[in-house]
Amino acid sequence: MSVLEGKELRIVGFLCNWCSYGGADTAGVGRFSQPTDLRIVRVPCSGRINPLFIMKALLSGADGVLVSGCHPRDCHYAEGNYYARRRLEVLKGLLPTLGIDPRRFEYTWVSASEGQRWQHVVDTFTQQVHTLGPAKRLPDAPELAALAARLEPLRN
Amino acid sequence: MGMQKELQAAIKAILPEVDCVIGWGSGPDPLHGAPLFMRSEDDANRFASGFFAVNNPALFLPEYKGKKVAVVVKGCDARSVGQLLSEGLIKREEVSLIGFPCQGVVDHDKVAAALGEKGEMGEVTAVLEEGDALVLTLRGETVRLNKADVTAEKCMRCQYPNAHIADTFVGEKREPVATADDFADLAVFEAMSLEERQAFWEKEMSRCIRCYACRNACPLCVCRDHCVATSRDPSWLTQADSVKDKLFFQVIHATHLAGRCTGCGECQRACPVGIPVLLLKRSLARSVEKLFAYRAGIDEGTPPLLTFTLEEPTIKERSW
Amino acid sequence: MATLRYLPLAQVPQWLDGLAKSYTVFAPAREGSAVVYRPRAEGSMPELTARPTESAKHVVFPRAHELFSFTYKADPAVVGKRDLTLTQPQDPTPTVVFGALSCDARGFFAFDPVYDGCGTKGLAKDVYYLKRRQNTALVVLACRTALATCFCNWTGGSPASREGADVLATLVNDGLVMEALTPKGEELVSGLAEAGAEQGAAAEASHTAAEATMAPVPGAPLDPKAIADAVLARFDDATFWQAESAGCLACGACTYLCPTCYCFNITDESNGISGVRLRSWDTCMASLFTLEASGHNPRTAKANRLKNRVGHKFSYYPSLHGGRFSCCGCGRCIKSCPSSVDIRRIVQNALAAANVKE
Repeated sequence: MSVLEGKELRIVGFLCNWCSYGGADTAGVGRFSQPTDLRIVRVPCSGRINPLFIMKALLSGADGVLVSGCHPRDCHYAEGNYYARRRLEVLKGLLPTLGIDPRRFEYTWVSASEGQRWQHVVDTFTQQVHTLGPAKRLPDAPELAALAARLEPLRN
Repeated sequence: MGMQKELQAAIKAILPEVDCVIGWGSGPDPLHGAPLFMRSEDDANRFASGFFAVNNPALFLPEYKGKKVAVVVKGCDARSVGQLLSEGLIKREEVSLIGFPCQGVVDHDKVAAALGEKGEMGEVTAVLEEGDALVLTLRGETVRLNKADVTAEKCMRCQYPNAHIADTFVGEKREPVATADDFADLAVFEAMSLEERQAFWEKEMSRCIRCYACRNACPLCVCRDHCVATSRDPSWLTQADSVKDKLFFQVIHATHLAGRCTGCGECQRACPVGIPVLLLKRSLARSVEKLFAYRAGIDEGTPPLLTFTLEEPTIKERSW
Repeated sequence: MATLRYLPLAQVPQWLDGLAKSYTVFAPAREGSAVVYRPRAEGSMPELTARPTESAKHVVFPRAHELFSFTYKADPAVVGKRDLTLTQPQDPTPTVVFGALSCDARGFFAFDPVYDGCGTKGLAKDVYYLKRRQNTALVVLACRTALATCFCNWTGGSPASREGADVLATLVNDGLVMEALTPKGEELVSGLAEAGAEQGAAAEASHTAAEATMAPVPGAPLDPKAIADAVLARFDDATFWQAESAGCLACGACTYLCPTCYCFNITDESNGISGVRLRSWDTCMASLFTLEASGHNPRTAKANRLKNRVGHKFSYYPSLHGGRFSCCGCGRCIKSCPSSVDIRRIVQNALAAANVKE
């Protein structure tokens, strides 16, 4: 998973299988061009998303995290996204206390038919993250940092 | 010491009905109390309430499931009991609460700071409470401290000094210190920029020894030996001595307490290296109060993150 | 006695800066309400008033120690074949701990036999520990007073004990009287000016005064064998351990702050094709410490775990290692325990119970 130096940032997307993941497909089929910074993780429901997924991504060096699920009243499992809405909103409020810009994390609702809307969401969020620039990364443990340095030649 | 005698009488009165009464006794030095588990009149005679009774006895209640116990509670302890009850983690009929008007408890870090060059807390050989003052004896000298200067932060903003749930209430209810929580502590922290806050956590967490006292001192961290932080599968944390892992643990702790934390501050008090971990929970408590008008341990009903409403008028969703 | 040397307080930072040219220097630093041993920042004055919250053991026995790192690389010629490369970490650099306490220095005596093959021929020696141990010099700062939680005198120590120290530093008026106790220590202080007779006498007086502030050992003289037997005698007494552990939170603060707790865990922390094998601190107060692969856990209750901590320090360890407790009496476990669990009281209660039974 290479990141184009200086051009791309690392954005992780957690997408509900029943709506936004399909919406991303629809956008692809419709050939709506999108920025390529987003890396998608498919989950069964936005209610499945443990807020720790988002935090793990952000603390491990993601520059942005996007969650997208079914519109309220449209959840495949009836109420998963209602729980998600509360959790994700509370999590967003915690980010500034950790020193993380809350604009690095957003959650949206995109259905499987909304290809164009998906394009708009990805565009807008990617731009938002690019405005903020790369996130400051927490230092690794010294031994892991040393390892990363030793591995650098292997990666090229 | 009228309060102490009255509480001891209440404890002795309930002893025959319960497996034990949880309260406070004396600790290894005059500045420290310790949890006390009373099963006899002799034990009850060693009960010590007051400024040094800092531990939250609600912590131990889930361990006594299936047995009837009584517990002496400060206002903040009663909130923890209230939250445990509303989550069904303990049974009301198994717990008897003895409340009293709490006058606030000590913050040991403040005492240490106030003593400064005069000596360490462990050198204090005697403590006397004289009205609003604490008179300490150390290195053969006496040091007077204003109680207000060495009182825990949570007491300075206390809205519930009188246990709001109590089967027996000893003494006259006192006026609360504050009528609302203004989260002034967060305002101080938030005067820093985001970059400064990140640097702050980096520095503070770097001395974390990963003893998990913060977790184990939390009355609402009921997973105990089955915490996700120490699970191998999924493996959320590495064993590396890294700020990333240490801070991530605090995120695990805080997020699992969102809408549940009553702000008793035991996590921060328990930290042997004085990391201000309560800040994260305070931030969440503020969000939860603002979004769901819910105060953990006080308000009845399902905690807000375990339920939902179809429309969320307080949540402003992204327009895109 | 070796030559005493004198270092004015004002010159301490400068002297340490000098040492930093050939050593990694750790010194106590105040951080928040805690005092911790840190690689020293150039020009900084170490914290000499308040005693460190943690012990200095992590200098020799890091919280997470890289044993080696590994990388897999696919062989392009053979499908499915991966080559494994192992890399050894660099050897530790010579290190000085300035301002260790006498209990910290004596704490390493509990580590030494365990990691040195128990002095028995044929038993494996732990090179990782031994290299660091040999590479580390301890400048012990003599305590001037005892704290309520101090009990080094129970374990044969004293506030200004010279045991295990390379240099004994004593704070007198406005300087440190330094006494080199080993060739390693001599190397550190040889450049300093000689101390006057008055300064030497002041140091001696400080040691005596500190000694006087120690609470006497209850029921002295202490009989280590009787303690070991008394603690062991309570092995099957579940009621005893339940009562002693009632207030315990089962956190690891006591063991992680302890200068003598030496238990560890080994994990592979990998990230894709590469990773490190880490040796990290473990604590017998945690449930995972004894969780077996089968899923069985012999110590599910905190009472069992506390029994192990006390039993190991005062009974099992001494029975294996010449009667010496694996406790140096620093009292950090008591001082920093969120529930004020007092290991001295547990030992005394065990003794009292043994006396009743006899």
